[in-house]
This record gives sequence, C-alpha cells and structure tokens, in this order.
Amino acid sequence: MYANFLHNYPTLTPTLSSIHVFTPKNHFTPNLRTEPLFLHLQPKKSRIIINCAANSDGVKGAVNWAEILEKWSPKKFLGADKLFRAISGATSSPIAQYIPSPFTLVHSVDPRIKLAWLFTLVILPAKSNVVMRLSLVAYLAILSVLVQPAQVWKDQLGRVTLLSGILFIMLGLSTDSAPSLISSRAPPPSMMGLPSFPASLEGYKYVILKLGPLQLTRKGLSTATTSACLTFTIFQSASVFLSTTTPEQIAFALRWFISPLANLGVPVAEVILTLLLSLRFINLVFDEVRNVALGIVSRRINWQQMTMLETIDVFFTYIRRIFRNIFVHAEQISQAMIVRGFRGDSTTHKIFLSADSSSGVANYISISCLFGLIALVTLPKYLIQ
Amino acid sequence: MIQSVCVRASALPLPPIDSHRNAAMANSFAIDAQNLSYSVVSKQGKLLPILKDCSLQVPSGQFWMLLGPNGCGKSTLLKILAGLLSPDDGFLYVERPRSFVYQNPDHQVVMPTVEADVAFGLGKLNLTPNEIKTRVAKALDAVGMYEYLKKPVHTLSGGQKQRVATAGALAEACKVLLLDELTTFLDETDQIGVIKAMRNSMDTSQGITALWVTHRLEELEFADGAVYMEDGRIVRQGDATSIRKFIEDKLTSYVNQINL
Repeated sequence: MYANFLHNYPTLTPTLSSIHVFTPKNHFTPNLRTEPLFLHLQPKKSRIIINCAANSDGVKGAVNWAEILEKWSPKKFLGADKLFRAISGATSSPIAQYIPSPFTLVHSVDPRIKLAWLFTLVILPAKSNVVMRLSLVAYLAILSVLVQPAQVWKDQLGRVTLLSGILFIMLGLSTDSAPSLISSRAPPPSMMGLPSFPASLEGYKYVILKLGPLQLTRKGLSTATTSACLTFTIFQSASVFLSTTTPEQIAFALRWFISPLANLGVPVAEVILTLLLSLRFINLVFDEVRNVALGIVSRRINWQQMTMLETIDVFFTYIRRIFRNIFVHAEQISQAMIVRGFRGDSTTHKIFLSADSSSGVANYISISCLFGLIALVTLPKYLIQ
Repeated sequence: MIQSVCVRASALPLPPIDSHRNAAMANSFAIDAQNLSYSVVSKQGKLLPILKDCSLQVPSGQFWMLLGPNGCGKSTLLKILAGLLSPDDGFLYVERPRSFVYQNPDHQVVMPTVEADVAFGLGKLNLTPNEIKTRVAKALDAVGMYEYLKKPVHTLSGGQKQRVATAGALAEACKVLLLDELTTFLDETDQIGVIKAMRNSMDTSQGITALWVTHRLEELEFADGAVYMEDGRIVRQGDATSIRKFIEDKLTSYVNQINL
C-alpha cells in the first residue's frame, strides 16, 4: 500500500498580486493568440488527496479521503465562526453566582439552615406524593421569583421547566407504552370461564390517557412526576441557594456539617480550602475560555476557505491555549498564596469565613418552616399506618 | 530630604559585604541591596545575566518607584526583594514583614469574595475573628473599598481588584510593600484611583515603605524617591524630581539623535 499526498493547487500562494499577466512565447507556440492570458492567483482551497492502491496486483482503489471528510465535515452543520462568536460574546460570570442585591430575607438566613433546606428539598420529592411534589415545585418557583432579579429567574426557570417538561413527557408516555414481551403463565380469566375483573366503583383507571401507541398510566405518571419534580427541585433549589449565599458562607456551612468527620481522619480543612479555590477559579476559567475565543474572532479568519483539517487544528489550538493559560493562572495563584503566607498546611493557615450576616427572625422562621415541611411529608405516612 | 541616598550605585565603591550590619543601618533603610547579581540558564545552556551588580537603598517610611524600559530586570529585582528568587551574589536586607503585590490582580486575589481575600494573608497569624475583621475593615477603608466588603471578586473592575490586592497586603501590617506594575492593565481613571489609594494608605499608616515598579513617568509625582534601571543595572537613584528630569533629558537626547 502506498499513499500520495497530491496538491491540486499550490499551497504557497503568491503574495504580490492576485492577477498576473502571462504572455506565451511565440517561438514555442507560433499559432497561439497574442492576447495576454490572465492567470488568477487568488489563494485557492488547498486539497489533500490521498491515493490508495493495492500493492502488487495493479488493482488501484483510489479513495479520496479528504473529499469524504470535507463532505461529512461538521463545519457544514456547525459554523466555527458562529461558535467562536457565541463563546466570545457569552458572559464571563458563571451560572448561579451569588447575587448581593436585592438583599432579601433568604439572604439573611444562616447558611447552615439554607444548606439543610437544600438537602431536604433534594430528598423530599422522592419520599412524598404527587400533590406534595407539585406543591414543592410551586413553592420553589414562587421563592425564585421573590428572591432573584427578574432576568435571572426568567432565564433559570425557563430552562429548568423545559428540561423537567421534556423528562415528564418522555417518562410519562414511555413507562408503560412498550408492552412486555414475556407472557404471563396464567391464561386470561375469559379462557378459564371466570368473569373479568370488576370495574372500580370509585372510577379507578390504571390507564389515564391513550395517545395512539403511547399511553399514560398511573405508574408512568408517578415515575414522570418524581423524575421531573426531582430534577426541578435539585436545579432550582441549588440556584436559589447559590444566588443568596456567598461562597464563604457555603464553605462555612459545609465546614460546620462535616467537621465531625475530622475525627475520622477526613481532611476537612483541605476540603474547604479546595472548595473556595475552586469557586474562585471557575471565574478565571470562564474568562479564559471567552478571551481566547475573542482572540480567534478578532483575527477575522476566513473559515470558508479553510479545510476541515485546518478548522480542527484551530479548535485544538484553542483548547491547548485555554489549558496553557489556566495552568499559568494556577501557578501564579499558588505562588501568590505562598507570598501571602500559606505554607501548604490548611490546618495551621486559618481561613476567615464570615457568616455573621444572618438575622435571628429569619433563622427562626426558616427553621420552623423546614420542620413544618418535613412533618407535613412524613407524619401522614405514620398516621395512616 | 533624601539627598543622603542619592548615589550612583555603579560609581560608589562599596565595602565588603557584611551580613551582621548594625541596627542603625537596618532602621534607616527598609530596603538595602548591594551588588546583587542574578542570572538564568537558557535552553541552550547559556548563562544569561538578568541583574548586574545592582545596589539600591530605600529609606524607611517612604514611597519609592522603580522605573526602566521593558526587560531591564525591574520585576526580577522586585521578586528578589520579596524573597521569591534568590540572588546569585550580593547583600540584601529587607525589613519584615514584607508583602508582594502582583501585576495581574487575578493572580493575587485567591478567594471568591473581597472580605475573605483580604483576610487570607492573616490566616498565618494567630488572630481572633474580631481582630481579623478590624484589620480587614481598616485595610479596605485605606484603599477606599470598604463598601465592597461582601462583593464577589469577579464582579469588580481591574482597578478595584488591584485595590483589593493592595488591601490584602496592607492588612498584614507589613513593613515593606513591593508592588509590581499595578497600573499596567488599568485605564487612566483606575490608574489614578489605585495610586492615590496607595499614597493615601502610606500617609495614614506610619512606618510602611513601598517600592512601586512602573513605566509611567506621571506617577512619579506621588513618589518620594525613584530608582532608574537599564539593562539589568541601576543607573540612577534619588528624589522623584531629579529622576524625572534625568529620564526626560535622556528622552530628549534620544529624539535629537534620531532627528539628526
């Protein structure tokens, strides 16, 4: 086998002029017209052709891989220019960041109580009935509207609702729509001469809705509401928590909850410092991703003239540059930490985590509501038993 | 006021280096460097001298500037003064505690919010939370950033981040501040804001000595003294006015040379 890289057009294009006049010499071609020929030397798309052939039997199986790659290249579907412009135009602020104003009642709640609320809201939808799940969703939606600025909650609620809605429809209609191929060993009641199951006096129906081959059953509804509500509560409660709690308060609350684990050898101080550094570093990563994309956009690359391999090369250069810049940042930050007195031991270098902005009234109301909610979900089960 | 230290380092024959200098010397100069040399080895294994026989003295409690063209070794000298690099040769005395503020505030600010970042450097000291809060508040107040106490760092402008970085150094109650081109990434308003905040904090806090690396001649009006470097050597040091005149004369002669 052999492969030849043939360039149909010169890769190195002339830089002097786009059009050159070429006058043929008469003594070689006496009958040729005397008008000058114009050769267009605009930079053409350079194509790499790989010819593949069988080795000794002379059967040539030429495959133009470059053309195949060009044909199926992602740039036909996804414009590189648009992608880089979208990245460079994106906000450098990370998703669900702390929003200091307007300062609401939720902002003034102790971060430990907020963290307890977060865990409760993640667990409760799985343990409660449909009504309670939907109530939790409604509660979170109202809370988001009350504590977050309009542009934040509109954007956040829209996305989370869309995701939860897709999950609800897909799970609701697909749970019981595909019938099981395994037959029951027992014959149907009509074969045994027995009457069919009597209809429910209370109007109970297992199949709630039929849409052609798809059907919404009680099992499907339960699965769909659990998944959709769980998704909604996880995303939305995290969003509300992060937008009303500073990173230091989060670290403070987490340290309070996991500090007993230090007795079991868990490096609590390292965990907290790593969390704080990560929360700081996220912004730098967002900045780098945006700035490097901006650098590529500002070069005004003619993407249409580039081959797929060249486009891929630019993408790899972009990713490589991001990583290099991030590592430089990491190195500089670690040096700054050393300059500022950090000697690598998180237990001796105390991190000041201020969490004194909580209000007693807000804490009391919040903790009462939390216990009330837990009681509302758990007590009916015990009372029924 | 500072005529006693207006010396040309290269012209002055210095006595042999003595590591046990007397206390009076240490008290009069917060920074005293004599005959410092520093080299790096290139990829080809060649020895590249960065600093050549550098000597400078900065009196205690003064705000000095270090000027020079790009690549002349200003930042390297500052890193040696901060203890980040070790000189190959020479004598060095820098009063302690000392703090270093980076050119890029994103490299200096390590915590996600202003308060926690300013307090970061205090973690090594055994202070109570109330003491930490007082120091943080005082340092932020000195640079005019107290109202940003609870703000996330990424919401601040470049100048504000730079002031937070400076406050972090001030909170440590350091004796010597080493500031590496703080105004490089800033617009004119932020440049003035940062240097005024620095000057203000110098005036309100007694006993702090600062060495500020810069390219901008106009910043010299805020300084008590200055050092001019070229090609790894300290060419001149003295009061701000004389250094400014020296650089302007140099510039004029260079322009005249081109015009000829």
